[in-house]
Amino acid sequence: MKVFLKIALLCSLSAAAWGAEENFEQANVETTLPAIKRGADEVMGNCHACHTLKYIKYRDLVALGISQAKVDGWRGDEPMDAPLKAQMSEADAMAAFNKVPPDLSLMSQARDGGVNYLYSYLIGYFNKPDGTLSNHIFAETKMPDMLGMSNATDEVQKTAIKAKARDIVSFLNWTTDPHAAERIQLGKYVIAYLIVITTLLYLVKRQIWARIKYK
Amino acid sequence: MANNIMNWIDKRFPATEFIKHSLTEYPTPKNLSYWWNFGSLAGIVLLLQLITGIFLAMHYKADVELSFNSIQHIMRDVNYGWLLRYMHATGASAFFFVIFTHMARTLYYGSYRAPRELLWWTGQGLLLLLMATAFMGYLLPWGQMSFWGATVITNLFKAIPFVGDSIVTLLRGDFTVGDPTLTRFFALHYLMPFVIVGAVLIHLVALHTVKSSNPTGLELPAKDNIPFHPYFTIKDLFGLGVFLIFYSVFVFFIPTSLMEAANNIPANPMVTPNHIVPEWYFLPFYAILRSVPSLVGGVVAMGLSVVIFAFLPFLDRSRIPGGARYRPVYKAQFYVFMTVTIVLGCVGYRPPTSAAIAIVGQIATVMYFGSFLLLPFISKMEERWLIKRGLPAIVMALINEEAAEIEKHKQKKNQRNGVKS
Amino acid sequence: MEQQNPSDVNRRSFLIKLTSVVGGAGVAAACVPLVSSMNPSSDVLAKATVEVDLSGIPVGGMHTIAWQGKPVFVLHRSPEEIAASASTNGVIDPEPDAKRAIKPEWLIVLGICTHMGCVPNKEGPGWVCHCHGSQYDDSGRVVHGPAPRNLEVPPYHFLSDTKLIIGKA
Repeated sequence: MKVFLKIALLCSLSAAAWGAEENFEQANVETTLPAIKRGADEVMGNCHACHTLKYIKYRDLVALGISQAKVDGWRGDEPMDAPLKAQMSEADAMAAFNKVPPDLSLMSQARDGGVNYLYSYLIGYFNKPDGTLSNHIFAETKMPDMLGMSNATDEVQKTAIKAKARDIVSFLNWTTDPHAAERIQLGKYVIAYLIVITTLLYLVKRQIWARIKYK
Repeated sequence: MANNIMNWIDKRFPATEFIKHSLTEYPTPKNLSYWWNFGSLAGIVLLLQLITGIFLAMHYKADVELSFNSIQHIMRDVNYGWLLRYMHATGASAFFFVIFTHMARTLYYGSYRAPRELLWWTGQGLLLLLMATAFMGYLLPWGQMSFWGATVITNLFKAIPFVGDSIVTLLRGDFTVGDPTLTRFFALHYLMPFVIVGAVLIHLVALHTVKSSNPTGLELPAKDNIPFHPYFTIKDLFGLGVFLIFYSVFVFFIPTSLMEAANNIPANPMVTPNHIVPEWYFLPFYAILRSVPSLVGGVVAMGLSVVIFAFLPFLDRSRIPGGARYRPVYKAQFYVFMTVTIVLGCVGYRPPTSAAIAIVGQIATVMYFGSFLLLPFISKMEERWLIKRGLPAIVMALINEEAAEIEKHKQKKNQRNGVKS
Repeated sequence: MEQQNPSDVNRRSFLIKLTSVVGGAGVAAACVPLVSSMNPSSDVLAKATVEVDLSGIPVGGMHTIAWQGKPVFVLHRSPEEIAASASTNGVIDPEPDAKRAIKPEWLIVLGICTHMGCVPNKEGPGWVCHCHGSQYDDSGRVVHGPAPRNLEVPPYHFLSDTKLIIGKA
C-alpha cells in the first residue's frame, strides 16, 4: 500500500501544479496590521467610491485598530453598525459602467488565483497602441486604472504603485477572512496539544500491547 | 454500590452483556495493521460532522435571499463560527478520505469476500448515503459552484426514459434549482446523518457477526484473537490523534485549500462559471460521466461505477482465500485499479477542452470497468497458476479442505439422486 | 499470565491516568467553542447600547425605547412629579428617588414588571401592570403587589442634555 500512497502524493502534486495555470504576479501578501491599515486607506480612497464592502461594518474597522476619528471621517452620518456601502448608488453605477461594480468583501478569494489574481489585475493596466486602456489579466474590465499603472513611466513610480496594490490586497485579504490571525494562533495551540496527547496515547498503546508478548 | 447499580440495570437491560460482547470480550485478530483503524475513524468523523453541523444549523438560514449572507454571518459574527464552518467543510473531505481508505483496505485484503458480503453491501449503502448527504450539503452555502453543481447533478436524472424531465422538476420543486430546492436540501441534509447513524449500526451488527477480517485473509484460530478493549480502543485512539493532527492542519492553516473560488460569489442562475468542478471526492465518477459520449450512457456508466463494487463478492472467483497477501496478480490488479481511479480523478479536475485529456479519460474508464469485469477470469487463472507453483501449506490445506467439502456434498447429492432413480 | 513487577504496574497506571486527564481536558476545551457559539454573536452585542434623542419628549411625556429587544420607559417628569416621587420612599421595596434617576427630570426604567415579565401601562401617576395588577409610582417603585421589586433601572448615561445612551453607565 506504500506504492499507492506514493502515487496519490505524486498525483496530488501534479494536480496542484495544474491549478496554477495562469502566471500571476506573486502578491506576497502581508498580514501585518500596518499593511492592512495602509490598505484600508487606499481602499477607502480609491475603491470605496464605487465598490461596496457589505460584509464589513465600520465597527469592524475600529475593532481592527483603525482610529475612531478616521472611521468617523469615513462613515459620515452612517451608524457604526452599518456596512460599507459604496458612495455611488447602484443606479449611477449602471449609468456609468452599465454594470454594478462587484462587492469587495470576499474578492481576495472569489477569483481563481486569489490574492495573486487581484494583485496582478491591479497592476495589469496598460495602454494599447491605439491609445485605449486594457488589462493583462482581465481585458474586458470596465474599471478605470485607479492606481495609474498605465501612465507610469519610470521604475520608481511603478514600484510605488505596486506597493499600493500590495497594501490594497493586504486589506482585502483581511476583509475576506477577518479571523485568520486568530485562527492561526489557535491552530498552533491545538496542534501542540494534539502532538502531546497523541504521544501519550502512543505510549499507553505500547504499554498495553506489550502485555501480549508475555502470553 | 456501582456493582449494585449494574446488577439492577442488567436485570432490565443487557448492559454488561453488551459491553462484553462488543468490547471486552469481542474477539479481534491480533495481526490487524493500522489500515484497520479507518472504520472506527469514520465513525468518529461522522460524530464530528454531526456535532459541528447541528451547531452550524443554529445560525444557518435556508433561503436563497439569506443563505449566502448567513454563511458570512457565521464566518464573521458568530463566536467561533469560522471554526465550526471550517471544521464541517474540512470534515466532509476528511470523511471521504477515511471512507475511501477504508474501502481500499477492503479491496486490497479481499475483506469483502465470504462470509462478509452483507457487511460489504451495508458499507456500499453507507457510501451512497454519504455521497447524497455531501452533495446536498454543498448546495447550502448558495455560491456559484453550489448552484451549478446542484443544477448539473439534478439534471443527471434527465437520463431516465419518459419521466426524466418530470423527475428533475420534482426533485427541485422548481423549474431550476431554486428556493424550494435549497430548503428541501437543507431538510434532507439535516435528516440524512441520522439515517447514516442507523445504517452504521446495521453495519456494526453485521461486523460483530462475522468479525473483522485480517491481513492474511484466513480465518484465525481463537488463540490469535485478542479482546477489542483495551487493545484496539487504545490503538484506535492513537490513530485518532494522528488523524486529528492532519485534520487540524487543514482546518487552521489551509482551510480554503479544498474550496473553490467561485463559491465565494453568490449563486447567479444567469451566469455559469467557466470551469465547473465537483468536490475532489466526486472527481473520478465525474470523469466517467464525461468520458461516455452520450447523456444516458454517461449517467448509467457513472451510476454503475459506484454500485459495481457491490458485485465484487461474485466477481472474485479465486479459491485462494483473502486478497493481496497470497495473490500477487490480485495485488497488481489492485494497484492498477487505484492508479486508474486517481488518473480519472485528475481527468475530472481538468476542463473538458483538450482531446488528449478526453482520450486519457476514456482509456481510464475502460480500464476502471475492466478491473471488475475481468476479475472472474483473472482470479481463476491466477488460482490455477498459483496452485501449480505451490502455495504455503496452510493455504493449500484450506483449499483442499474446501474441495473435499464440495466433493462430499456432490457425492451425497449423487447418492440421493441414485436412490430416487 | 503476565509477569510484571509492582513498579511496572505503578508506572502503567500513572501513564494511563495522565493520558486520561490530558485527553479529558482536551475534550472539555473542544466544547468551549461549541457552547460559545450559542452566546450572542458580535452583531447582536453591537446592539447592546442604544442612543436616544431626548429633544422630542415633552414634559410629562413618555417614550418607549427598544433596548436589547426590551422596552425601556423614558419619562420626562414634571416638577410636581419629581416632588411627589422625592417625598416618598416606596412601599414594598423602599428606595429613594434620588438613587433611581441621574437627572431628576428624566426617569429611565426597564418596562418589564418584576412579577412575571409583562409590560406595564402608563396610567395616571405611575404604571399599572394588567397581567396581575401590580402598580408602580412615577419613580417606577412598586406601590401595590404582587410585584416584589421596583422596576429595574438600566445602565445609562447622558452624552449631552438631549442625548442619552442606554446600555452603558
